[in-house]
Amino acid sequence: MIRRLWALSRKELRQLFASPIAYVVLTVYVALTGIYFFQHLVSYNQLLFVYQSEGMTGGGFDQGTVPTRINVLNEVFVPSADDFGLFLLVVLPLVTMRVFAEERANGTDELLLTSGLRPYEVALAKHGVTYGFVMLLLLGSAIYPAVVVMRASLGMEHLAALYLGQLFYGCAVASIGLACSAFTSSQIVAAVLGYAIPFVLLDFAWLSNTVSEGVAALLREVALLSHYGSFARGVIELRNVVYFAGIIGLGWLVSVASLELSRAR
Amino acid sequence: MTFLPAAGVVMILVGVASYYATRSLHGMSAFSGLNVALGALLLLLGGLAQARRFRGFSGAESRRVVLRWVAILAAAVAAVIGVDVWARALTARVDLTVDRQYTLSPETLQLCHELEAKGGPPVELVFFEDSLLAKDVRLLVEAYGAACKRLEVRDASRRAPPQAARDLYTTTATAVIACRSDACDPVGYPSERNITNALARFTRERAIRIYFTVGHGEIDLAGESDTGYSGVAALLRDEGFDPQAFVSPAAAEVPADADVLVVAAPERDLMPEELAMLDRYLGRGGRMLVLADAGQRSNFYSEFLARWGFTLDDAVVLDRASSPLLKDPKPVNLLVHQFAPYNPVTRNLSPRTMLLLPRARPVELGRKPMPDDKLDRAALASPRSWLSHDVAAALANGEPPPDSTEPQEIALIATGRYPRGKSEEDSSKEARIVVIGDRDFASNRLLDALYNRDVFLNAVRWLGNDETRIALSDKAWTPDQDPLTLQQTVAYFYFLAFALPEGLLLLGIFAWWRQRT
Repeated sequence: MIRRLWALSRKELRQLFASPIAYVVLTVYVALTGIYFFQHLVSYNQLLFVYQSEGMTGGGFDQGTVPTRINVLNEVFVPSADDFGLFLLVVLPLVTMRVFAEERANGTDELLLTSGLRPYEVALAKHGVTYGFVMLLLLGSAIYPAVVVMRASLGMEHLAALYLGQLFYGCAVASIGLACSAFTSSQIVAAVLGYAIPFVLLDFAWLSNTVSEGVAALLREVALLSHYGSFARGVIELRNVVYFAGIIGLGWLVSVASLELSRAR
Repeated sequence: MTFLPAAGVVMILVGVASYYATRSLHGMSAFSGLNVALGALLLLLGGLAQARRFRGFSGAESRRVVLRWVAILAAAVAAVIGVDVWARALTARVDLTVDRQYTLSPETLQLCHELEAKGGPPVELVFFEDSLLAKDVRLLVEAYGAACKRLEVRDASRRAPPQAARDLYTTTATAVIACRSDACDPVGYPSERNITNALARFTRERAIRIYFTVGHGEIDLAGESDTGYSGVAALLRDEGFDPQAFVSPAAAEVPADADVLVVAAPERDLMPEELAMLDRYLGRGGRMLVLADAGQRSNFYSEFLARWGFTLDDAVVLDRASSPLLKDPKPVNLLVHQFAPYNPVTRNLSPRTMLLLPRARPVELGRKPMPDDKLDRAALASPRSWLSHDVAAALANGEPPPDSTEPQEIALIATGRYPRGKSEEDSSKEARIVVIGDRDFASNRLLDALYNRDVFLNAVRWLGNDETRIALSDKAWTPDQDPLTLQQTVAYFYFLAFALPEGLLLLGIFAWWRQRT
């Protein structure tokens, strides 16, 4: 089974990196994260300057004029993590849209399913390769934050928590996109659904005023963002890990179901 | 995809996007709501229209597969929900912040046990996530909820807070309010130290009373100028103390309810009756904090403190590495970074957590009044410091360092413990003195400078038998606030936002070119 999975994964990898879309997505993501991280850093530098200037004009003792809550963590990392999450949501459907839909449109899915591979193996290989690509995206975007973490003594453990959160979040978004791709032969439909579902799932705060407290609480538990924030703060909570693992698992299961249904049809 | 569901998806996307874009201005606008509602309707209609496609599953085998997978998916969803509920109840977490910011200290856990042991109505922590200070309050408050059985945590956005908490809430200054029955107490910046202090106020039967002597040119507790001590008064009240003035020349005895007596830099002599009164106070296990300053002459320093084992030389401590922060070129603004690690007054301090003591005077240890008494030095000036006995000249013009480079040990803070025939276990009856050779460090101007505030609080807590809270200071880690200069930021930016993406794009073009050829 491992050999079959490896062969299928290699084929997927070749397909992914033979087309320019993977490079475009990597480029866009790395550029967007770099630009936004830079913007947050510049704003932070300006904020520091304002605080320090006020201290100087006050003529008194300068220490304490920059409150400790104004720091790289609060002003750069947490807002950047929110941005990075949104960018993942923007770029990942572009990668996931083709994974199953292309096979279905070309008719190669039938070849795959009659080649002795089981649907769950096909789904496992395709999901695995896509998650690997998510890791690659995150790796490209981690250089800038890693430099700042080292210089600001923020702690590499904290950075690891932040990126673990992004990895979970990215894999969950990719898993939804892959599930959408598995149910259609149109890449456009897969992309639109791959955008729409995570986008709607992102945060249900917009509904909180129109539904009862209980429903609002339930929706908050379903929302992606409410499980993502604590990673950026350096805390890994079991419930958040379970939530993302659940979405990833369900996405894979839906993909398997779709392949099984195709075979049955 | 037919038109109806596609249009529905687009309308939902526009509705949600417009909400995200404008939510800081107003909640859900009519535009966003209408788009989402119409989009959902179109999606439903489109879904119904597409239902006929499921005719492909009308065969018995297909139906069996569909039913099997619907059941598997339903079971998987139920399992995920079950595990999620279990994980939520477990509240297990790994805190990877540098200073373990969301892991409660042993002192806080001890307080939780005290709350539990004392019984009474439960304490409630109400937190407001829309507060400007509430960036990370949920994680911290939830840690309290998980650790303290007698503590309930209430998210004000989910469950309406008590009226008393609502009255105290302001978006700019409060994020957490501690309540017990009808009494509520706002927590300032939502740190562990502040929340625990708020909880401690509910466990204490009465506030620790601190008397400040007046009548000999001491500090002005109500003074709001840079040299005043109104900041100390406010700090003490916030921390659950009760500061009061004590007119010692008119009193026969120190009040019986005095937990701590502060003699803050008297500039004139005290009457012999007053000195005798202070002796009697210490003799019955009193607690005293003494602030002294260079250039002051009073029999309180030369006679009274000498009797209790402290020698305050009439000199000023100078140091080459004087702090330039006060914009004073003279070497009188000492940065103090040598501390006795086990002294309760300096327990939390290290060479990284310095004090700023301007115009300090040396506090040396003299002869112990009784053999069992214990005198300790708590903070030393740097080894390169020296003493000047021409205080007026040194304060006015500074003084060049002496030729000798012999390292010196000049104490600036010292403590004394005086068991007077009481059992060792009964530490509440032990007389204690803390002498700090500076009065300016806790003035309004400098109280928040470096770790000055911590030393002042540690001193009054140790004297007031509130020792468990000495160890509880705000988590000491402070990130480097200026990690990259603007030039470095721009250099990294060029590499990461331009050079790296450019390389990736060129790789993409190469892949595309290879695919075509």
